[in-house]
Amino acid sequence: MKMTPRLLVAILSAGLSWGCFSARAQTPPEDATRQKLVQTILSEGQAQQKLLNELADSGVKVVRDVLTAWQRDGVYLYDDPAGGTKVPILLEDQQDADGKARGIRIIDGQFVKDAAGKELRFASSDLNTAETDMRLRSVIQQSVDTLALASANPEERNSAVLKLGNSQKPRYIPILQNRLTKETNVEVRRSIDEAIALLQLADTDPKVQIAAVQHLAQLKAIGSVDNIKKLMTKPGANGDVVKACQSATNVIENHISFVNFIGTIFHGLSLGSILLVVALGLAITFGLMGIINMAHGEMIAVGAYTCYVVQNIFGTGFGFTITLPFSFGGKMIHFGLHLPGLNATGWTYESYFLVAIPLSFLMAALAGLLIERTVIRFLYRRPLESLLATWGISLVMQQLFRMVFGANNVQVNSPSWLLGHFSINDVTFDYNRVFVIAFAIVIVIGTWLLLTKTPLGLLIRAVMQNRAMASSLGVRTARVNMMTFAFGSGLAGLAGAFLSQIGNVGPSLGQTYIVDSFMTVVLGGVGSIVGTVCSAFGIGTADEVLQQTTGSPVTGKIVVLMAIILFLQWKPGGLFASRSRSLD
Amino acid sequence: MKSKITKWLGAGAALMVALNATAAETIKVGILHSLSGTMAISETSLRDSLLFAFDEINAAGGIKVGGKSYMIEPVIVDGASNWPLFAEKAKQLLEEDKVAVVFGCWTSVSRKSVLPVFEKDNGMLFYPVQYEGEELSKNIFYTAEAVNQQATPAVDYLLAQGKKKFYLIGTDYVYPQTTNLILYKYLLLHGISLENIGGGLRKDDSGKVISAGKYTPFGHTDYQQIVSEIKQFAAGGDACVINTINGDSNVPFFKEVAAAGLTPADCPVVSFSLAEDELRALPTKDLVGELGCWTYFMSIKSKENKAFLKKWDNWLSTEDHPGVVKEKRAVDSPMVLSYDGAYLWKKAVEKAGSFDVDKVREALESGDISFDGPGGKNTMQKNHHTTKNVYIGDTLANGQFKILKTFDAVPGEPFLLKGLDEKLSAMNK
Repeated sequence: MKMTPRLLVAILSAGLSWGCFSARAQTPPEDATRQKLVQTILSEGQAQQKLLNELADSGVKVVRDVLTAWQRDGVYLYDDPAGGTKVPILLEDQQDADGKARGIRIIDGQFVKDAAGKELRFASSDLNTAETDMRLRSVIQQSVDTLALASANPEERNSAVLKLGNSQKPRYIPILQNRLTKETNVEVRRSIDEAIALLQLADTDPKVQIAAVQHLAQLKAIGSVDNIKKLMTKPGANGDVVKACQSATNVIENHISFVNFIGTIFHGLSLGSILLVVALGLAITFGLMGIINMAHGEMIAVGAYTCYVVQNIFGTGFGFTITLPFSFGGKMIHFGLHLPGLNATGWTYESYFLVAIPLSFLMAALAGLLIERTVIRFLYRRPLESLLATWGISLVMQQLFRMVFGANNVQVNSPSWLLGHFSINDVTFDYNRVFVIAFAIVIVIGTWLLLTKTPLGLLIRAVMQNRAMASSLGVRTARVNMMTFAFGSGLAGLAGAFLSQIGNVGPSLGQTYIVDSFMTVVLGGVGSIVGTVCSAFGIGTADEVLQQTTGSPVTGKIVVLMAIILFLQWKPGGLFASRSRSLD
Repeated sequence: MKSKITKWLGAGAALMVALNATAAETIKVGILHSLSGTMAISETSLRDSLLFAFDEINAAGGIKVGGKSYMIEPVIVDGASNWPLFAEKAKQLLEEDKVAVVFGCWTSVSRKSVLPVFEKDNGMLFYPVQYEGEELSKNIFYTAEAVNQQATPAVDYLLAQGKKKFYLIGTDYVYPQTTNLILYKYLLLHGISLENIGGGLRKDDSGKVISAGKYTPFGHTDYQQIVSEIKQFAAGGDACVINTINGDSNVPFFKEVAAAGLTPADCPVVSFSLAEDELRALPTKDLVGELGCWTYFMSIKSKENKAFLKKWDNWLSTEDHPGVVKEKRAVDSPMVLSYDGAYLWKKAVEKAGSFDVDKVREALESGDISFDGPGGKNTMQKNHHTTKNVYIGDTLANGQFKILKTFDAVPGEPFLLKGLDEKLSAMNK
């Protein structure tokens, strides 16, 4: 499991505001370190880098906080009117109404005061930042990494260790060995082990090198392949070393193909889940009801835009104004809506997505209901007309999205609990991908339960199998049709909510997925939910496997499409051809 | 009754005289951009910045030729993201409207499609968007970034930062393909070995490399496999990604990059198609710290740029051209290069003392025509490209760039492949 960057920032800034800058008594070694910090910030070039390396060994917490802030442009230079010198300061996290905050001097951790002893407040935009370039930031990063070895968080320790290992500077070996004696976390111990072996590759003694190479092979360290290969091809390399490198590379490359194999299957499952989530709604409206619903993609977009609106309501609010393109009685007609924001932060804000999921379902279901009542109900059993009408609806809806949300894509930020990943044996599992697989399973089970275990499901199946018979037995078929279409549209809305987390949200979002949706439903067999599930996972896995083996994202798609065409020539009914009378 | 008619006639005549007296001469100038279709999102911004430039020039007294002032009269046509239509519209501008010059095109394919029309009718086109080079028409002036004003400086910067592994990824069309082929050769020349250039190579039957890097089609959404490949590529450290993905696909790409934990500190991504205008529609949170390279950034702190941005805001709040969006606008490099182009042309016309295409071309080719634009000084060279500053910046959460490095006065050079091939074969001998 890796730490998400945002969480890291949150923890660091929490540490910044409270940990060490509140005015309190300083211990002498900390005083000296603070002075050195100030000196470092104000110096330049080589001297600055040397000071930074010294700071890295200090192990004082304040160093890490200041360096992290510096990296993110959080250190400011305040021109002291009394001394005429530049004073490096940090700003407190808490801002007042004008966006100003109290400044904290790095030299002593005290607030900046004017001559009369009054605390000064600053806006970050009025101050000059202590500039950093990429090279300086990477040196700062290395210092932070060394400091991070002592971090309380094992994830931070882990990534710090590996960075030191890749630096190929043997001077870190004693630091890491020292750390190994204290470290208790299994994963971090393994990383330290790997990092020490990596650093030993830079040793001059062939015996040490061979031992290190063999050890890396044992660890199956993917990150070490480059360094091992480099060692192997070095001019004048020792024969035994080359041999050891050769076998180590083989072992690690075998491991890489194993990782790729598992990774590909996981990617296939997640792509399949996306297809499934996208196509399931269509499996209802097209598969069960037989409506060729070209506006299905726009139902997905309704869900995605709902997510966007909910996100903004949790944030700063949402509003739009539409000006009609014609005037009425000499007046332009405007109408608009403004929803105030909750200005939520932290976990409340991050949970917007949980609220957005049911709302996406509801909004898309409502849109579906509206379309069914106004257009589609007149067109049952007239597939060609319903195709044209729903295509028209899709164009109208796209234009509506443009008028309300603009022609550009809108920004939807993923909540932090969906960003990030965990690794098992070097295979990376993204949270959002794991989420979509679980999400797909949940909605498939939900749909199955609804169709087979509820009275509504019974009615739906009855109407879809034989409308006339159901009607004569007293089922209100019009109402069942309406509910079914709304349910199918709602499922599309759920798909939209998820897609907003991995891709674009824009007026043409629906167009991207409409072909895939139809493909999945048709291949699975129109009218069969099981078929849709099988075809979604089949297409997803085949696509990813072909991408992996051919190394080209396009070839995979082409081969899959060809295969689908050939398959449908052979079995026109799809994987699970159903014998529903409504499809006759 | 009669007196009434004469009165009207008299008034009319007086009005005509008055009009004749106040109306200065006008000169027609064409704007040829897609105002509808997929490219409209990007190209309408260029129309706006051109209208802004023309309004500014007119307000300052127009173009002075032979003692007379000419006001610019824009003729706007819509290429509708349809490449053959671009050629037809170009023909209409040149043959029916008889415009003195045309500003336009965004995609390379639209430029290639109008090129024969401009050569046949001896027209003049100013092209403002970063492109792949390997082209030089006597009828086109490229205010755009050539590859050596964007891609190679970015690589120079990354090399200087100690990067040793480069992964090339782009959308599958002429600009990314050509740029990546140039970069592939450039990297080889700078001592980067073959296995450290990621993304794959494609060779023709004779074994000559014809394509380098990984390509996805327009609108591609599934980047799982590619990002996990990049992650393995970057596992050994000192790696970076050169991104020429164009348009929407950047969103799923960067979301995947962020989810996989590839941070800019470990493996930065430098993008050549993402400027401030595009960043408005991207989740910038996922892009913080990633790099961009352009000849203009909105965050440039020069006096000229501050004045320019202020005038732009004023213009937006007062102008009354139809279809100009006023809210949430950003300015970016292609917009500024369009604006610069308008001024370069004005200066050349005034120097030549004529609107005649051949004379204006001669003036532009003289090397004396330069303009202090918002991004710094632009000078038109004999090879129809400009000398200008190149900036490298990293993305901030607010969709702006923080400038990390400036390369001063880089002369644009369209033909790089041939020179690189020669140097490479010399190196191999």
